[in-house]
Amino acid sequence: MIKVNTEDYPWHAGMTVRALLDEKLFTFRHIIVRVNGEFVPEEDYVSTMIQDGDDVMVLHLMAGG
Amino acid sequence: MGTIIKDYSYTPAKIKHGYSGKSLYINLSDLRIEQKEITEFMKEKFTGGKGFDLWYLWHAVTPETRWDSPENEIVMSVGPLGGITQYAGTGKTLLCSISPLTDIPIDSNVGGYFGPLLKFSGWDAFELQGKSDREILIFIDGNNGRIQIEEAGEYPEDSHLLAEALTKKFAEDEDDMVNVSVVCSGSGAKHSYMGMLNFSFYDPRRKVCRFKQAARGGLGTIMHDKKVKALVVKYRGVKPNLNDPADIATINKVGVKYHKEMHDLDQKQNKMRQIGTANTVMIMSQYDLLPTRNFQTGGDPETVKISPQVFINEWLTQGLHDGCWYGCTMACAKCADHFLITTGPYAGQRVTVDGPEYECAAGLGANLGVFDPQAILEENFYCDTYGIDLISFATCTAFIMECHQRGQITKEQMGGLDLRFGNSHAVLELLHQMSRGEGFGRIAGLGVRNLKRVFVEKFGADPKLLQDIGMEVKGLEYAEYAHKESLAQQGGFAMATKGPQHDEAWLIFMDMVNKQIPTFEDKANALYYFPMFRTWFGLVGLCKLPWNDIVPTDNHKTDSPAKVPEHVQNYVDLFNAVTGKNIDKEELIVQSERVYQFQRVFSVRMGKGERKDDYAPYRSMGPVTREEYLSRQELYDKQLREFQKLDPETMDLDEKIAATRRYREDQYEQLLDAVYRRRGWTENGIPTPERLKAIGMDLPELLEVIEPKL
Amino acid sequence: MKVLTHKQELCTGCLECELACSRTYFKTDDRNYSAIRIIENNRTFHARKCTQCGECIDMCTANAIYRDRNGVVRIDKKKCVGCLGCVGFCTELVMFYADDLEVPFKCIACDICSKACPEGALEILVSRVKEN
Repeated sequence: MIKVNTEDYPWHAGMTVRALLDEKLFTFRHIIVRVNGEFVPEEDYVSTMIQDGDDVMVLHLMAGG
Repeated sequence: MGTIIKDYSYTPAKIKHGYSGKSLYINLSDLRIEQKEITEFMKEKFTGGKGFDLWYLWHAVTPETRWDSPENEIVMSVGPLGGITQYAGTGKTLLCSISPLTDIPIDSNVGGYFGPLLKFSGWDAFELQGKSDREILIFIDGNNGRIQIEEAGEYPEDSHLLAEALTKKFAEDEDDMVNVSVVCSGSGAKHSYMGMLNFSFYDPRRKVCRFKQAARGGLGTIMHDKKVKALVVKYRGVKPNLNDPADIATINKVGVKYHKEMHDLDQKQNKMRQIGTANTVMIMSQYDLLPTRNFQTGGDPETVKISPQVFINEWLTQGLHDGCWYGCTMACAKCADHFLITTGPYAGQRVTVDGPEYECAAGLGANLGVFDPQAILEENFYCDTYGIDLISFATCTAFIMECHQRGQITKEQMGGLDLRFGNSHAVLELLHQMSRGEGFGRIAGLGVRNLKRVFVEKFGADPKLLQDIGMEVKGLEYAEYAHKESLAQQGGFAMATKGPQHDEAWLIFMDMVNKQIPTFEDKANALYYFPMFRTWFGLVGLCKLPWNDIVPTDNHKTDSPAKVPEHVQNYVDLFNAVTGKNIDKEELIVQSERVYQFQRVFSVRMGKGERKDDYAPYRSMGPVTREEYLSRQELYDKQLREFQKLDPETMDLDEKIAATRRYREDQYEQLLDAVYRRRGWTENGIPTPERLKAIGMDLPELLEVIEPKL
Repeated sequence: MKVLTHKQELCTGCLECELACSRTYFKTDDRNYSAIRIIENNRTFHARKCTQCGECIDMCTANAIYRDRNGVVRIDKKKCVGCLGCVGFCTELVMFYADDLEVPFKCIACDICSKACPEGALEILVSRVKEN
C-alpha cells in the first residue's frame, strides 16, 4: 500500500510514477510530483520507481477556473 | 444621423499615479451631466474599480430599489492599474448595478478597450442613473473633451451590427478604428433578465469589431431599460506612460519578465495563446467536473467531440494576436472567422464568433448535451449578438431540459419547443424567441429562480425536485463546474457574494484531488484567502487569468504553489510602481477585504446577505436522483462505509441516497460555521463591527445596517 | 531582404558600431540605446542584432510591426503602445527598450554601424528572397 495525496492506494511491483499517473487518470499536464517529499521532474516519471509504503504527492496546479 | 440632444464640454483631467481624480455622472432622466471628485477617502477605503462602483451605487439606491427603479445605476470603473500596457491583462473594467436576477449588487468584469480609453479620457469612474424617454447613445470624445448624447432609434439592435456601425461612424479612417470602443447589448436583453453588455475592441488584422462580455447578472437588461443603446468612447494616443506611473522602470522590468515567461512556457503549460480558456474542457470531463446535462454528471465520453484540439484544428484562427487590451501576451480571446450561420435572422451570413471560452463550450455544449462544435459556435454567436449572458442562458436551459426529461413540463407547455438534451436546433430557436420576445423564450429569460416558481404555479411541477435541480443561488445561475466531490467549492460557489460563480475561488483541485485542505479550518482559510486575493483584481483593473494560467518554472519550489507567489509579488510591485504607494502582499489582502466586507453588508442592506442566502441546491452537493447515485455507486458506497460507518449492503438505494444527503448537508453546515468564523461574521453570516473596525471599515452607514442583525 | 551581418573573426570589440548607432538615433554615447550590442565571450565577440526574422510581426498587440519594402522589420512608432511584448518574445533578444522611451527599438539594417566599423566586420547583406 502507498499513499497518494494522503489517501491509501494499492501498490504493485514495477510501479513507476508514469504508471501511477495513468492508473489514477491524472491527465492534467500541469502537476508537481513529489515522492517522499522529493520533487520528481517530468522527464523522470518513466524511470522513477515507486516502492511499497511510499508517500506520493501529485499536486494539480490549478486554482483558477 | 440621430439628433444630438445634449452637448457637453469638459477639460479632461490629467492622470496622476493611476487616478484621474474625476468621475463622470450622467442622469438619463433629465440629461444632467456632472463631474465628481474621487476623494482620498475613496482611494484609501475602496482602491478603485469595483470598490468605487459599489461606493457610488450604495449612495444611489435604497433597500427598496429594484433593478428597474430609476435611481438604480450602472457604474463602471477601470481601477488605478487599468490601462498600463506593459503587463498582460491590464484592461479590465468593473461594473456594478442592482441585478434583475438577484435584487442585490452584481459585479461583472470585462475586457475590451472601453474602460482604459474612458480613463485616458479623464474619468476614473462613470455613473449612469435615471431613465431616458427615448433610445439614445452617449459618445465621449476623450481627446477633445466632449460628451454628446444622441438619439439612437435608427441604429441596428444586435451587437455585431451596432458596434460596427458606431465604430465606423466615430472613426476618421481605418487606422482610427482601434481608438473607438463601444458598449452595447442586443435584442435578447430586451426580453430577458439575463441581458449582458458587450465591450468592443477593433481587430485591425481581421478588420472586425471583437467583443468581451460583462456577462453576469443582467447588466444589458438594465441598460436596455434605461433606453441606452450604446456607449461610445474615443481616445487616440495610447502610450505606456498615460497612467503617470511613479516608477515606470519597475513596470517595464516586471512586464518584460512576464512576457518572456509567456513566450517560453505557455506552450508547455495551458496553451492559452492557442485555445484560450477552453483548454480545460477535456480535463474537466476526465476529472468528473464538466457539468453535463444540467450538472447530473461530471463528464461524458462524447466530450472528445468538443475537445480543445477539435476547436484548434478545425475552427479557430491561429497565429494572430488575440488580446483584449494592449500588452496582453496571454491573448486568450480566440475566435472563429468566416463562420457560416445556419439559423435565425443572420442565416447564410459569414461572421466572426468570439470564443468559445470554457464557460461556453461547457455550458452551451456538455451541459445541454450538445457535443457538436459547430452548434456551440452558433449558439455562442447568437448569445453574444443578442446580448444574452451565455452562462445564465446555458444553466437555465439545462434546467428546463431536465424538467422536460423528468416530466415536469411538456413540449406543449414550452410552446412546442422540443427542449431535450442534445437538441441544438431547439436551443437556437429558444434564443431567437428571446430575441423576438416571443413564446417560451420570453418565459425562459426570467432565469432559474423565477422559472421554478412559474413551473410549480402554472404547470404543477414538483417544488422539491425543482429546488434540488435548479442551479441557482441568490437568483444567479451557476457557472459551469460540477463539483459534488469538493465541499470547499460548494461553499466557494454558494457563499459567493453576488451569486454562484468562481471569480471568488476555484478550489476543486486543491480540495478534491490534491487533498491539501482536508479540515474545515483548512477549507475556511482557503475560502478566506482566495476570495480576498481575487477580489483585488477587480479593484485595480486587472484580469485574473495571467495570475495562474501560467506559472514560473520554479513555482513548485515555493511554499504555496497554488498562490503563485512570484506573480503575487509582480502585482504588489506593479501597484506600487503605478501609485507610488508602498503596500506589501498582506496589505493587498486588506485592500480587498475592505471592499469584500462592504459588498456583503451591501447585500445585507438589500435583503440578501445572510446564512439563508448561502445555501446551494443539492444538485451541486450530491446525487439527487437514483441515476446519479448509480453513476458513481462505488464511490458513494465507499463513503457511506468510511464516513458514516454504514453498511451499504443492508440499505436500499433510496436509503443510501438519503443517508448520503444527510451527511453532506451536515458537512455543509459545518463549513458555513467555519468560514463565517474565519471571515469575521456572525453565525448568521453578518460581518461583525469588530471585524469591520479591524480593517478600518467601521463606517457609520455600515454599522447602521448590521446592528439590527447582530 | 536586407540584414546586418557580423564577421566574428574580424571584430576587435572596439564598440564603434554601438556608438555610431546610439549617437545617430538617440544622440547619446550610452550603449543601452544601441540596436547592436557586442558581447564578449572568451575573447571572441558576438553581435546581438536583429536577424529580420519577423516573428514579432504577428504577436504585436498593437499591430504596429511590419516588414517594409526592403524586407526590414520595422516598428510604426505612431501605432506602438510600448507594451514591450515583442521584447519578451524576441528569441534573439534583439528588441531593446529604455525606460525613458515610449516605444522599443531595433536594428533596421541602416548601414551606419557598418560604415563606422574600422575592421570591416559588419556588412549589410541584401538577398533577393522575398519574405511574406
